Amino acid sequence: MDALHNLLTGFATALTLKNLYLAFVGCLWGTIVGVLPGIGPVAGITLLIPATLGIDATGAIIMLAAIYYGAMYGGSTTSILMNIPGESASVITCLDGYQMARKGRAGAALFIAAFGSWVGGTLAIVGLMFMAPLLADFATKFGPPEMFSIYLLAFILLSSLGHDIFTTMPMVLLGLLLASIGMDPLTGVLRFTHGVKHLYDGLGFVPIAMGAFGLGEILAATQESEEGRGLQKVRLRDLLPTGEEFRASIGAILRGSGIGFFIGLLPGSAHIVSSFLSYLTEKRLSKHPERFGKGAIEGVAGPETANNAASGAAMIPFLGLGIPTGPPAAVMMIALLIHGIRPGPLFISEQAHVFWGLIASMYIGNVILLILNLPLVGVFVNLLRIPARLLFPIILLVALVGTYSGNLDTFELVVFLGAGVVGYAFRSWGFEIAPLVLAMILGPAAEISFRRSLMRSAGSFGIFFASPIAATLLAASALLLTWNVHRSLAKAPAKA
Amino acid sequence: MNKQRAGALVLLVVGLYGLFSSLRLPMGKWSEPGAAAFPLIVSALLALSGAVIYARARAGAAVDWRGLLRQQWAPLQIVVLTGGFILALEALGYLLTASLYGFALLFWVSRYRLWVALGTGALIGIGSWYIFGRLFETPLPQGILGL
Repeated sequence: MDALHNLLTGFATALTLKNLYLAFVGCLWGTIVGVLPGIGPVAGITLLIPATLGIDATGAIIMLAAIYYGAMYGGSTTSILMNIPGESASVITCLDGYQMARKGRAGAALFIAAFGSWVGGTLAIVGLMFMAPLLADFATKFGPPEMFSIYLLAFILLSSLGHDIFTTMPMVLLGLLLASIGMDPLTGVLRFTHGVKHLYDGLGFVPIAMGAFGLGEILAATQESEEGRGLQKVRLRDLLPTGEEFRASIGAILRGSGIGFFIGLLPGSAHIVSSFLSYLTEKRLSKHPERFGKGAIEGVAGPETANNAASGAAMIPFLGLGIPTGPPAAVMMIALLIHGIRPGPLFISEQAHVFWGLIASMYIGNVILLILNLPLVGVFVNLLRIPARLLFPIILLVALVGTYSGNLDTFELVVFLGAGVVGYAFRSWGFEIAPLVLAMILGPAAEISFRRSLMRSAGSFGIFFASPIAATLLAASALLLTWNVHRSLAKAPAKA
Repeated sequence: MNKQRAGALVLLVVGLYGLFSSLRLPMGKWSEPGAAAFPLIVSALLALSGAVIYARARAGAAVDWRGLLRQQWAPLQIVVLTGGFILALEALGYLLTASLYGFALLFWVSRYRLWVALGTGALIGIGSWYIFGRLFETPLPQGILGL
């Protein structure tokens, strides 16, 4: 009953004209970002951070969250109509979605993708509504040893992001080292600044995230070819699926919701993993698996539902524990920190109006997206006619202004440029960039927890094992690390 | 030297830099860890991981250093132009710098014709100046035009 009462309060916050407008803008921009190949939800959220500076925290998180799940909706449009995934999680939708379009069933595929996304997103929000406060309540009992153990587990889970721990763990470590540049949070001693005054406050998350994800992606995109594909036409009157198609989709949608929700709780590219897992599940369960890859509607319904459910579920550890489990949540965290809000165990109790306002707006946002994605599909598709070589100067300018507007400091533009070059270089060398940025965000809090634990125990590391919660988390970290190292060593020696 | 070894070498060097720089910071005691403690541990692990990756990455095509410039020409152009934007921003102001930046990217990188690049570059510069400077009221540098 408490949750329902809080939700009603949340609707009172979300249904103001201003917040409805921000939810709409976020959904629209998110859908555009999802439709356009080359700009993912991370870049989409990052580029709009400067636009949130003039609005309050509630409005900011409403808009940014809307971009995130909006991108999941939009990504399916180009997958189905052009066989080009607009967003990485929509890769799997190309397999059957485009084949359905070639058979004249594009409308049905688009409808089921949008409907499944709405169901998955809505069910994830229900889960979020009940689980996040419980998790936050539990976490308020945590002291420094427990918090450090959680952060350590998070870093090891982050290093499981790629296929090889030897390409991800170093990036986590590099992120932790970069996070220590500037003033030591406990003693005020300057670290690695070499007399440069601009570094006294550290490198800053915004220029690093904008550079690594924004500029880095554009530099990488210059190495990819811009092949034209046939654009399938869709008529509005063919939007509705047949009764048989709808019945075939229901099971896939429900299973996709469950798969997406549980995968979404884990760090990593949950929306991508969940869509792949859902596809494989549907193919395994089907009585006619040979239909998959040739236009099976379950191959669209399941994955599209799963990636939206995962996006919603990813908000649970983010809001409840303050641990962003993927790049989109990481940049949302940056935006909230700029507004003086830190997601975590105390966030839900101390900023209840922000949390419940967000939950309510996610319900509203899912409805807005359902409405946007069906009748306006023709409008969004026309965006695809804009060549990428015309778009990237605009994206670069937005990223530069976004970085500059934070502190009006050109030094941050230099950091932006450096992060872009470093991010691009490491990406070319086969390393993952997302763990670096995530580690930078969590690093300072992890260090404080570590040092405070040792202060409490007068230097004894036994404090980490004295607490059952901390000991369990450390054991889980050790097991996971061992498994990941074994998995990587078992593969053939690294080739480049 | 293959690509992954190149990356590993960078990690090793950065790790060693962090390690030696941390040794100059106050270490404190285990009961009160100083500013050096955490970065020292992280740097040591980073240097170690760089060394491990370097040792593992035996196979793989060597980096084509001569072809590197040709392959990375477009990214290099973007980086140079972005550096130019940063240098010119405060002096020339946002409006002029953004328009020149847009033109240079469209003409030099995207290879549009001169007049198309000029017109579109100006449009992008003026449009972004209006949206950010006027609508969002971001305090952008005014520079020599005073706008």
